[in-house]
Amino acid sequence: MIKLFSPKKRLPVPGIVWGIIFLIIFFSIIRPAKFPTLYNALLILRHSSVLIVASIGMTMLILVSQIDLSVGSVMSLAGVITAVCAESGMPLGVSLALSILVGMLIGVVNGTMVAVFRFDYWISTFATMGIAAGLALVVANGQTITVRSDFFNWLGNGKVLGIDFLILLVAVLVAGMLFVLGKTRFGYNIYSIGGSAETARLSGIDVTKNRMFVFIGSGFFSAVAGLMLAAMGSSASPIAGADYSFDAIAAVIIGGTSFDGGKGGLAGTVLGAVLLRILTLGLNLMGIPPTWQKAIIGVVIVAIIVNDVLGERRRKTNESRRVYSNV
Amino acid sequence: MPLDKTFELVELKNISKQFPGVLALNNVSMDFRKGEVHVLLGENGAGKSTLVKIIAGVYTKDKGEMLLEGSPVDFKRIRDAQEAGIAIIHQELNLLPERSIAQNIFVGKEPEKKGLPGIIDKKKMISDSAELLQRLGVDLNPNTQVKKLSIAQQQMVEVVKALSRNIKLLIMDEPTSSLTKKEIDKLFEIIRKLKSDGIGIIYISHRMDEIQRIGDRVSIMRDGEYIDTVDAKTMNMDEVITKMVGRKIEQLYSRRYNAPGKLVLQTNGLCGLRFRNVSISVHAGEVVALSGLIGAGRSELAKALFGYDPIEAGSYTLFGEKVTRATPKESTRRGMAFLPEDRKAEGLILQMPIKNNIVSASLKKVFPNFLLNNAKETRIGEHYRREMRIATPNVDKIVQELSGGNQQKVVISKWLASESKFIIFDEPTRGIDIGAKAEIYQLIDRLAGEGSAILMISSELGEVVGISDRVYVMREGEVVAELKRDKLSQEELVSWAVRGAAKND
Ligand SMILES: Nc1ncnc2c1ncn2[C@@H]1O[C@H](COP(=O)(O)OP(=O)(O)OP(=O)(O)O)[C@@H](O)[C@H]1O
Ligand SMILES: [Mg+2]
Repeated sequence: MIKLFSPKKRLPVPGIVWGIIFLIIFFSIIRPAKFPTLYNALLILRHSSVLIVASIGMTMLILVSQIDLSVGSVMSLAGVITAVCAESGMPLGVSLALSILVGMLIGVVNGTMVAVFRFDYWISTFATMGIAAGLALVVANGQTITVRSDFFNWLGNGKVLGIDFLILLVAVLVAGMLFVLGKTRFGYNIYSIGGSAETARLSGIDVTKNRMFVFIGSGFFSAVAGLMLAAMGSSASPIAGADYSFDAIAAVIIGGTSFDGGKGGLAGTVLGAVLLRILTLGLNLMGIPPTWQKAIIGVVIVAIIVNDVLGERRRKTNESRRVYSNV
Repeated sequence: MPLDKTFELVELKNISKQFPGVLALNNVSMDFRKGEVHVLLGENGAGKSTLVKIIAGVYTKDKGEMLLEGSPVDFKRIRDAQEAGIAIIHQELNLLPERSIAQNIFVGKEPEKKGLPGIIDKKKMISDSAELLQRLGVDLNPNTQVKKLSIAQQQMVEVVKALSRNIKLLIMDEPTSSLTKKEIDKLFEIIRKLKSDGIGIIYISHRMDEIQRIGDRVSIMRDGEYIDTVDAKTMNMDEVITKMVGRKIEQLYSRRYNAPGKLVLQTNGLCGLRFRNVSISVHAGEVVALSGLIGAGRSELAKALFGYDPIEAGSYTLFGEKVTRATPKESTRRGMAFLPEDRKAEGLILQMPIKNNIVSASLKKVFPNFLLNNAKETRIGEHYRREMRIATPNVDKIVQELSGGNQQKVVISKWLASESKFIIFDEPTRGIDIGAKAEIYQLIDRLAGEGSAILMISSELGEVVGISDRVYVMREGEVVAELKRDKLSQEELVSWAVRGAAKND
């Protein structure tokens, strides 16, 4: 007889949720007057939302064992393109579309180098990172540009039924991508390629094409994130996105997607981004300078990786024991 | 043999394939029929895998023609071959460990929801998998993650995966190399069923005993060339082997038993991951085998001795030195060598050339004073290439590009080069052709003759009986019997290995 679907399906609380709860309690005790406020909760959500969108592409990339270092500069570039175009009288919609198109174009360039020509992804996306960053400076002429559009401002700060439009947008994007990753052929292919590119190839999956799509997706989401960031401040700085490549990678890893590939997913990334932003805000409130914050976040990542590796080892040992009884 | 055209499934005409420096296939012509099991025989590196990969669209041929049911086909992509009804189970496992059995079975061809292109019907995928598993008699839950399965179970998932489409031709490249007897029986049952459905099967194996059990026709290849096709039921095994290796193999097992020397290894109540209370001994000049079913804890014991896995209780003495905690580095220093079962993961650096791999366990020899002695490295490499008959133009070739069996020979060379005095061989001849097997047995005999102590784990009963002085049989983690050479027989080994196993079933 076949034993189908074991009924005992415990939903384990992932470690990251404990991490978030711990941080909230920790900062609430250290800064009881400043940290646990509704204002801060909203602030964290708004700031997380940009990072979440910037990390969607990175999640897919790390799932297929790649990385895109150009995320941050594409964000900056997208912001300044829209700002410059809108200020020169182009309709806002067209400017936004143009920015997103440029983002996707950079994705095509990355994908061509990495997926088609098999260049190393570090070098390839490092190059496009430099190109996009340079272009952003050129386009903006090295300056922060204010966007005097009410609609643009509304995109970043307006509310629908009392909820920030940005947060709604992120919810829709995340829900959409959760669906794509979990339920569609494209999503299945990503997990298969991540698990083993060779196995995927031998199973008839077009690895090159799917990797290409992932890079284009990364460009798309980077551009959208850049536009969100610009809209929040109604202005675009050519270095606005500078820290985001690092933060996005951090969010993905903290969220449990591993470089081994094929393991993890977007839900974890969302939590990872939130955790990162709680950490940033808390450290700010404690008066720790941004330079130190980076180091601290680095330590957190190392701690998480160490914990992951140790946990995996324990599991493996236990598994080899477990198999024993039903050899 | 007269050939009725309606039974013709695949016909190959003058297929050639060149790899850098190697003509892997030279003008090969063969035909495969519906409802037959066609065995491909050949030494390691003869071109068997290359040939079937061309049929399955994994490689493209340089020259030649392929006909499928009479009409020419030219597969440019794997998908083309799949859609034409050709499935292949590769020599190496190709599974996604993090994904479920169902997801693995349907990888790349997941069923879609009706009217919603691109959206996967997970329910259907799981129920279809459950049905397939049941139909093929594989008792596994389709939701189980593949990494939780034993190697043998994973191999069965590969079989199910290959059968999840409508196929005309099933290619199996050494499917049984890591299966237990029970699963081999099941696999053969499946093969017979497929045959009766008119499906053609190409079957590659180095296990000669399987040929007559399951094969209909046997084709022999050597050095990339087609040699002959014979009828499996009426063939003369010796002739076939001679054709395969190009020389006569006088004697498969050769052993000059010598009087055992000093005690080399003595374990005292050793416990570890999947074994308990193991007390065994090995003397200089002795070949001691660990027999038992796959999963009896033999490999785990070996790994613990060498230091890959922890020793949880007990200790052992090696060359008079007492050991309670082993590390690979310390073990190597003490003169122990370990040829692991999973060579790919544990024994080779696939991206490095052959010669670097061969010297990697004896670096002192090639770095006499911190500088690499390049000439010596090449000399050692060349020596073992000749000695082990590794099929390669030179020892600078990347190990990854070698055929499966030749990769094994490189690992064996690596440990031989280390000139250790206590050597553990875990399944030394798995996936190795019969000619090389004979050489490995000779080598083991020579090593023993020179005073090395040898512990061999083997699931091939023939070789256990053929070359060991003494055998310990393990069952469910414990040593249940010690048999001397004069008491050895395959029947005796089997009965000890499975006794009591029936009630656990
Ligand atoms: N990808 C590759 N690149 C270069 N050479 C290769 C490649 N694949 C196979 N070869 C070479 O082609 C020859 C035939 O290899 P093949 O894998 O077909 O042998 P095989 O008959 O399957 O042997 P085995 O029994 O060891 O699996 C070998 O000399 C091998 O080194
Ligand atoms: Mg092969």
